[in-house]
Amino acid sequence: MAEIIKVEHLAKTFGTNEVLRDIDFSVSSGDVISIIGASGSGKSTLLRCINLLEEATGGKILFHGKNVLAGDMNEDEYRTKVGMVFQSFNLFSNLSVLDNCMIGQVKVLRRGKEEAREYAMEYLSKVGMAQYIKAKPKQLSGGQKQRVAIARALAMNPEVLLFDEPTSALDPEMVGEVLDVMKALAESGMTMLVVTHEMAFARDVSNRVIYMADGRIEEEGSPKDIFSNPRKEKTKDFLSRFRSERGE
Amino acid sequence: MIYIVQNYGGSLLSGAATTMAIALICTFLGCVIGFAVGLLQTAQPHKKDGAIKRGILRVVKLVLTAYVEVFRGTPMMLQAAFIYYGMGSVFGINLGMWSAAIIIVSINTGAYMAETVRGGILSVDPGQREGARAIGMTHMQTMMYIILPQALRNIMPQIGNNLIINIKDTCVLSIIGTVELFFTFRSISGALYTYFEAASVTMIIYFVLTFVCSRILRAIESRMDGPANFDLATNDTLAFTSGLTKYNDKTGGLH
Ligand SMILES: Nc1ncnc2c1ncn2[C@@H]1O[C@H](COP(=O)(O)OP(=O)(O)OP(=O)(O)O)[C@@H](O)[C@H]1O
Ligand SMILES: [Mg+2]
Repeated sequence: MAEIIKVEHLAKTFGTNEVLRDIDFSVSSGDVISIIGASGSGKSTLLRCINLLEEATGGKILFHGKNVLAGDMNEDEYRTKVGMVFQSFNLFSNLSVLDNCMIGQVKVLRRGKEEAREYAMEYLSKVGMAQYIKAKPKQLSGGQKQRVAIARALAMNPEVLLFDEPTSALDPEMVGEVLDVMKALAESGMTMLVVTHEMAFARDVSNRVIYMADGRIEEEGSPKDIFSNPRKEKTKDFLSRFRSERGE
Repeated sequence: MIYIVQNYGGSLLSGAATTMAIALICTFLGCVIGFAVGLLQTAQPHKKDGAIKRGILRVVKLVLTAYVEVFRGTPMMLQAAFIYYGMGSVFGINLGMWSAAIIIVSINTGAYMAETVRGGILSVDPGQREGARAIGMTHMQTMMYIILPQALRNIMPQIGNNLIINIKDTCVLSIIGTVELFFTFRSISGALYTYFEAASVTMIIYFVLTFVCSRILRAIESRMDGPANFDLATNDTLAFTSGLTKYNDKTGGLH
């Protein structure tokens, strides 16, 4: 499968705090990669560096072979191809649901209004939010907001979609509706990189799992490798701690 | 009182019109200045900018801060005298009454608005900017379509406040001879020696002006908020908005 993103020796420090160290991995078309790890291990920072919301302090991010960090590619153009779904939704609160899904297409991709509306409706239908086009974000529940945020990201037709704990800010009864949408996306072949604490999602939906600890990739493998035969002690500890917390 | 209204009604009305015109124009221009200054003050240098660009930005910010502090920190009446007579005696420029009045009140309002706008921009959730950047919007687009509209909504009450203040504060322009409402009041009371009656009539006029303005601004605010409820789109409108072909009854709608 074609490689889309390759991260090489990525590093990030905040002051003297080394948050990411020597991160290496790659994302190929159709991959659904779950990133798991303890709080503070650098998962969000990794996604934010990939999306250029944080500036990495070392290493390379290659997008189809072009080093984005070295300016081989226009940053804004790169961002349209790498979508992001945030824990806190970040829907534009001054715009309706429909406009949230259209503005990027019209202003950034320069699509015509009609075309943009068709794409927006297509993806809003996919996430089951087509009826809510006139609503403002604050009129929606958390799960609905997140589904609109997913549609907004999809409407840009990105090659990869990054998710940073998309269900962590949701009430438990709304987690399912968002996970269902993500699962359907994964099945439709969307390339996804998902930071999550939903171990069932990581195990059942993704084809690869990355376990992070202290800013490093501690272990990477298939869900079966990571969940059934973890090689590293840290991974075992994390998973058993996680299971006991959840009472599994 | 009736006598005043009958004989001076016309000049009171034209004084009121002058006051309103100055207040409206100056609040508008003040907002424009305030947005420009507030935008520059919240601008962050791009990470790839060189030392020169950073230096220029810092100097510009310093000058703007000085402007804001000086004009907020001194009485407008003195600013009016300073600019009007100062331009005349130092530079030999004779500003007309109108342009002097408009310049003074605008830059004074601008100084207040700059702080308000800066606060308004900073009060917008940083997630809004990240959401916009994440779909590839440039800094300018993010500001234009996402941040400023929200900042504007947040500071609408203060804009209204400024308009009300300007309606009342144009009275200090009587010092440079602008024939606005307060100037008219002084002429009437000077001619008739009926301070109480003249003051009553003038106060009523000021109050009507400010009250009507604040109601109109409230209405504008609630219009900006949009309806409190939204309609669920029906299949018909969905088919219409999606161009008939795309909307699929089975996948659309609620789960
Ligand atoms: N803007 C910042 N400035 C300084 N330090 C930061 C900043 N953002 C994150 N950090 C630090 O980086 C480390 C990693 O944070 P990060 O948010 O990436 O962790 P995480 O794995 O996403 O955790 P969680 O599961 O709680 O979301 C933390 O120690 C955090 O304090
Ligand atoms: Mg995080």
